Amino acid sequence: MVSIKKIITRDKISTILFLIIPIVLVIIFIYICIIWNVVVSLSDWDGLRPSYDFKGFGQYQKLFTNEIFLTSLWNNIVLILIFVPGSLVMGLLLAILLDQKVRKENVFKLIYLLPFTLSFVVTGFLWRWMYNVRVGVLNTLLESIGLGFFRNDWIQNVDWAMFWVCVVLIWQYSGYMMLIFLAGIRSIPESQVMAAAVDGASGFQMYYRIIIPQLKAPIFTGFVLLLVFALKAFDLIFILTGGGPGYTTEILPLTMYKEVFRKKHFSYGSAIATILFLLIMIVVIPYLYKTYRREK
Amino acid sequence: MKTNKIGSKKKRLPNPKRVFLYFLLILFVFLTLLPLWSAVMTALKTQEALIYSNPIQPPIKPSLDAFGTAFNELRRPILNSLMFTILATLLSCVLGSMTGYALTKVKFRGANTIFLFIIIGIFIPYQAVLIPLVQIIIELGLWGEISGLILTHTAYGIPICTLLFKSFYDSIPDSLINAAKIDGAGIGNTYLHVVLPLSVTPFVVTAVFQFTQIWNDLLFGLVLTGAGVSQPASVALLNLQGGFVTAWNVQMAGTLWYTIPSLIVYLVLGKYLIKGFMTGAIKG
Repeated sequence: MVSIKKIITRDKISTILFLIIPIVLVIIFIYICIIWNVVVSLSDWDGLRPSYDFKGFGQYQKLFTNEIFLTSLWNNIVLILIFVPGSLVMGLLLAILLDQKVRKENVFKLIYLLPFTLSFVVTGFLWRWMYNVRVGVLNTLLESIGLGFFRNDWIQNVDWAMFWVCVVLIWQYSGYMMLIFLAGIRSIPESQVMAAAVDGASGFQMYYRIIIPQLKAPIFTGFVLLLVFALKAFDLIFILTGGGPGYTTEILPLTMYKEVFRKKHFSYGSAIATILFLLIMIVVIPYLYKTYRREK
Repeated sequence: MKTNKIGSKKKRLPNPKRVFLYFLLILFVFLTLLPLWSAVMTALKTQEALIYSNPIQPPIKPSLDAFGTAFNELRRPILNSLMFTILATLLSCVLGSMTGYALTKVKFRGANTIFLFIIIGIFIPYQAVLIPLVQIIIELGLWGEISGLILTHTAYGIPICTLLFKSFYDSIPDSLINAAKIDGAGIGNTYLHVVLPLSVTPFVVTAVFQFTQIWNDLLFGLVLTGAGVSQPASVALLNLQGGFVTAWNVQMAGTLWYTIPSLIVYLVLGKYLIKGFMTGAIKG
């Protein structure tokens, strides 16, 4: 007969066996890598040969006097200020439109979500063609419908490049936000909506007074996801503008990549990465804390 | 469930409001699909036809030349991408399923802490691990190898896979697990004989999600393979542009080739992908 004790040890061993591989991988590839990255940022590794002599916070001091870094940081903020509200509003609009008992709702949903499933690489190339000044889609299209005076140099315009980059990101993310909001709208108890309808609320009023205030949770979720993404965005800008013209669309992840993989400034690049990591954790840790507490 | 939220149940006549609603819906469909439509039209044209036509007009004589040229360049990279995407998807799903099970159905202290410790990985910017990652992969002798990409994508896939599986396993009643326990089944056997047979849906959801994520990746491919033979399709697409500076038809054809596998997955299994997006969003 198997004793209770044996069962317990057997269970302990199998639990460990279940978790060992994933936990080791997470420790190595996430935690050790993050710590190691900080170590690199405090070293003097600047060139091809790894060197880990401790040099202190020099790289961080350098960052905050470096114009390219400060520009990138500022661009990241501009990106957040346009892209986050833009995607939230577009997502909400699409969700409200689709909530009107639309025929073929699933087809519309599938189409609106399509951009979100595309690779940023694909989006980058598609929109380079859209924005191409000489023969691109937008300019030719505007010309052919008699709106030639709207012709534009889009992402090549120093003042507006970041805005047009944000438009692409909103194009890609609206469907995702729509999905989150639509689920939120559909989870509002029908009785409340009915009660409001009886009270004479209709159309706009209904959304403004009854439905949108109840979407706090999905709006918060969407906000956090967009914010985190806006800080991390790399692929799309890498392909669409490469950070240009000049440094007008350069953001932190891109600066880090260029410093490390083009200029081989390893410790400087890892200092940028550390800052980026801290910025994201400032957003994510309270969010996880809140979600975690809610679950408890 | 979704009927009768607002307004009456009566069948609606086409009133101006409804017309405006559908006008807006279709306008957004147009805006959503315009870049893709134009890519297809451009890819179907020859270099000369491109000059004399509008980028959204269908070609007068459709030509598959651009698709052919692009395919010759991308054949190997697309096979590479398929290989590491499928393998890393499977591996991260299996690991995520095991982790999700152990963290929900085996009651032990600290399970929640371990869960949080793992899912923080969903949010980290990859730049923050990039230099050490490249060093590790070089040390292991996997730089420029498909296996390096498989390892990397599997490792960074564990957090989201754990999250997706855990949220599904939370909904399996404990009584099922306890019944197996009373029959004398250990943790491993319960997983194999009780939990795994119930896991078809989360496996599909997670696999579709992971396939899309890994297939779409650029950064890891960029820093872990360089210009070698194991280049993923996303990286090869960048080089395609280098070779044909103004050949937009070839560039668009290449982009479309690269889109097709993930597009097929979306069109066939979109329902599951949506489920993955929702679970990832609400809990993550």
